[in-house]
Amino acid sequence: MISFKKGSIGFDEFLFSVEEVEFARGAVHVLMGRNGIGKSAFLNTISGMINPIKGSLDLDGKALYQYAPKELSTKISYVSSSPSGVPFLSVNAYLMLGRNQFTNVFGRGNASDHKAVLEAKQIFEIEHLSSKFTNELSSGELHLCAIAKAYVQQTDYILLDEPTSHLDYANKIKVYQILEKLAKTHNKGIIISTHDLDLAFKFPFNFYLIDSKNQRLRPIKDFKEVELEFKS
Amino acid sequence: MNSSHFKKVILLLVSIGIIILVILGLRIGDIPTGFSDIYNAVFNYSENNLSELIIREIRLPRVCIAVISGAALSIAGMLMQTLFQNPLAGPYVLGINSGSSLTVALGLLSGVQFFNSELGLIGSALLGAFVFGLFILFTASFIRNQIGLLLFGVMLGSFVAAIITILEASSQAQSLKAFALWSMGSLNGVSIEQVPLISLVFILGCFGTLLIVKPLNVLVLGEDECRLMGYNLKSLRLAIVFITALFTGLITAFCGPIAFVGLAVPNLTRMLFKTQNHFLLLLANMLFGAFFILSCDLIIQALSDTILVPINALTSLVGAPFVIYILIRKLR
Repeated sequence: MISFKKGSIGFDEFLFSVEEVEFARGAVHVLMGRNGIGKSAFLNTISGMINPIKGSLDLDGKALYQYAPKELSTKISYVSSSPSGVPFLSVNAYLMLGRNQFTNVFGRGNASDHKAVLEAKQIFEIEHLSSKFTNELSSGELHLCAIAKAYVQQTDYILLDEPTSHLDYANKIKVYQILEKLAKTHNKGIIISTHDLDLAFKFPFNFYLIDSKNQRLRPIKDFKEVELEFKS
Repeated sequence: MNSSHFKKVILLLVSIGIIILVILGLRIGDIPTGFSDIYNAVFNYSENNLSELIIREIRLPRVCIAVISGAALSIAGMLMQTLFQNPLAGPYVLGINSGSSLTVALGLLSGVQFFNSELGLIGSALLGAFVFGLFILFTASFIRNQIGLLLFGVMLGSFVAAIITILEASSQAQSLKAFALWSMGSLNGVSIEQVPLISLVFILGCFGTLLIVKPLNVLVLGEDECRLMGYNLKSLRLAIVFITALFTGLITAFCGPIAFVGLAVPNLTRMLFKTQNHFLLLLANMLFGAFFILSCDLIIQALSDTILVPINALTSLVGAPFVIYILIRKLR
């Protein structure tokens, strides 16, 4: 469980406040809100990359800042909104980097690492990209690989900043289905931000809106509340 | 032939090439020598035999330093390129050599005897390289543009060259001679007694690089990813700069500046091996770097009857066009 109480979020300046929010494992949590409202700042905060302006942020009952960086990397994985491809880095090698905490001192994987990478490629249907270099992929393909890399990391929590923004409609649905399945069958806590309002609402996710009027994060049940936010 | 076999075959071929070049380097010269002389010079040395004397006192240290300088500068270049995520980075173009030159010049031209000693020379070269490495690291935090960083390094080099010229003009003949000798730069300046110390520092640097192979692989993905994987970015960067300074300072202290090796060889190996696996890259850079400088040295020896080509001039002749080729590819 990731919980955040009486907090406020921002890179340097205040963006929005959070009364109390809890992200449990076994579910997909979806953040919605306007551009620049602070969705990325929020995910950055939860991943431990930036500190909250104030508030208590706990991971599994222990304050997030008390985790050593190495330990935190085994608990939370993060997929940025625009992963970048690297020349001469193949998709296979890229995915193996996700196994960083398991591989040996030179970064070499053993049989179980290779199995995990193969499994991820099958789940995300990217086997045909295996030996392609990451800088030669389309942004959608690269994003799928980045999500697969977070998957092989085998963390309890996965944070994804707009994971579907570069994807075509079929792949958007595929990613949402995979995330739903991961949460249920692998008991992962998944937190994503998205602008795919109506598509996301077709899935049994938990929804949160960063309200631009009150600059506050709140859970929502109804699609109408989102519509209201984006019309006003 | 699959790609992993291809890589192994190339590494094997280069290794064989190095052995051949080493043997040629030990045999070729004004005084012809045989295999038995080489064997005796190493294992059964008698200084009354002229052939053995020449091998042990002149050719062996030269060949050793050729192997070490090529390997060290290439690894240093690989480290710089990964640190700055910039194929145009290298210890020479970013002015790390200049740091060594400046401190060595300050030391030698001050006339203080200590700086003319072996330890003084290494110490000042390492210090200069490390300080300039930190300076470049600091600068790179706000010059994000790849070619911009290259330009900055070149400007730094010119600036230091100007300071050194002024220092030279205002120093005494005795200390000027010591500095002029050093700044010519050559593989001939090393004596057999210095080889163990140089080897030791080199091996330490290689061992240090081996220890950071895994974070280097992650660093390729960018700083954020590296931090998310739980690495302390600050200490990783410091470690990289430290190892680079160790390699660059060491070679600059004993051979003077050797240009472009650290830029050209790592680019060549990345293109040839098409990988970001730094364990493989470390091995490849070591071998290709050694092979490159050994070849340069052989050319210099072959030409030595007619003209004396400084090593720095020869590596520039090959390296500078290669950099231009990369620049054109990038800018197009």
